Amino acid sequence: MNRRPFIAMILAAPLVTRGAAAEEAQAALRSTIDEVLTIANRASSRSALANSVRSVLERRVSFETMTRRAVGVGWKQFSSAQQSKASSLFTTLVIRTYSNKFTPGDTASVDYKAATNPASGRVDVPTTVVYRGSRYAVTYRMEQMSGWKIADVVIEGVSLVANYRSQLDASFKQGGAEAVIRSLEQSVARPS
Amino acid sequence: MKLHRLPPILALVLVSCATPKKTTPATTSSGSAAGAAKAPASGGTDALDDYGDTVVVSDPLEPLNRATFAFNDKFYKWVMTPISKTYTTLFPKPVRKSIDNAYENVKFPVRFVNSGLQGKFGRAGKEAQKFGVNTVAGVGGLFKVSDKIDSLKDVPAEDTGQTLATWGMGHGPYVVVPLMGPMTVREGIGSAGDYFLNPINWGFAFRGDADDWAWIPPAGNTIRSMPGQLDLYKATTENAIDPYTAVRSTYIQNRNSSAAE
Repeated sequence: MNRRPFIAMILAAPLVTRGAAAEEAQAALRSTIDEVLTIANRASSRSALANSVRSVLERRVSFETMTRRAVGVGWKQFSSAQQSKASSLFTTLVIRTYSNKFTPGDTASVDYKAATNPASGRVDVPTTVVYRGSRYAVTYRMEQMSGWKIADVVIEGVSLVANYRSQLDASFKQGGAEAVIRSLEQSVARPS
Repeated sequence: MKLHRLPPILALVLVSCATPKKTTPATTSSGSAAGAAKAPASGGTDALDDYGDTVVVSDPLEPLNRATFAFNDKFYKWVMTPISKTYTTLFPKPVRKSIDNAYENVKFPVRFVNSGLQGKFGRAGKEAQKFGVNTVAGVGGLFKVSDKIDSLKDVPAEDTGQTLATWGMGHGPYVVVPLMGPMTVREGIGSAGDYFLNPINWGFAFRGDADDWAWIPPAGNTIRSMPGQLDLYKATTENAIDPYTAVRSTYIQNRNSSAAE
């Protein structure tokens, strides 16, 4: 008779673990965003922001995963030198894209909603970012690696990784790894 | 800004004629069907297709679309940007915000009717509450009081394109419309529906006298939405590898996600 609670506990265990994962991921995201916002609210210019935010993002965002997914299936045909080259270029591009969204002097605030657990080791955290009087739906996709890291950002339904993949896929089909690296170099070289 | 709120003149961003509603976050199991074809399970590279599946839309007119895209780019830069700059110089930010709020508030029938047509009656009710609160407490819609009310602040805005998607209509071919920007056949029909549901167009659309006052509200709407649309265009293209593909992917993803929610 007294076994019932015990059985219930065993049955509920996966749910509890999932809840814990979601909480952990959300906590990691919160501390990242807090750090970024503190920097953003202090920054005097966009380039200063990009520089100071870089170290935070490099710790909290898995740029390697993002690059791999943005390149897609072609990734396996990259040599390891090409992979690290592409990864470092893509990192620069993403950080620039991200910091361009801030205007010095305007502060953003973030409302967190209930996180979901689409698969084990993965948590999606939907948020609403309130910025310059408008509300934006931003979902952060977190993955468990060495700690929870951001693997994609979905703004108003638009995934950053999917967006770049649609572009890099075309480069890869045209000229393989070299073409991908060349087009990344061109985008990074273009003044923002 | 909510991309789906943008009026047709430059509705910027969204995939796939066959699948109107793409279920976004693929789980490990459902992602593998598409993933298996592209990424053989060689273990090392994890489910590449789980996130960021390439968003596909039929683009049979791509060469023509690219030419129109290049033309539009110049038009935005040389014609729209100066108009937009003049507007933002003449009107300070809080005033522009209130003008935006008022136009969005008046657009209430678009959201209300389309929520209803999709059977989302709870959402239609919330739209009615929003309209009431913003019109009365927000002085004719100038202040978006509903943003301070938890149940009303994040009601997804429905439009005719989303209704057609919910009814099972696919995107059809992707078309870059001169001056207006990205569109698909479905979204074009949707924009026409939105046009007739939006009271600001009623004077012009149903009386049709261009010498009249009737052209003022729609013209005002076009101008007031320019700064936001140009910002969005810039944000989408400035760090792109290929701006044309970036805008197409952004447009289709955004429209699909709006239709799904």
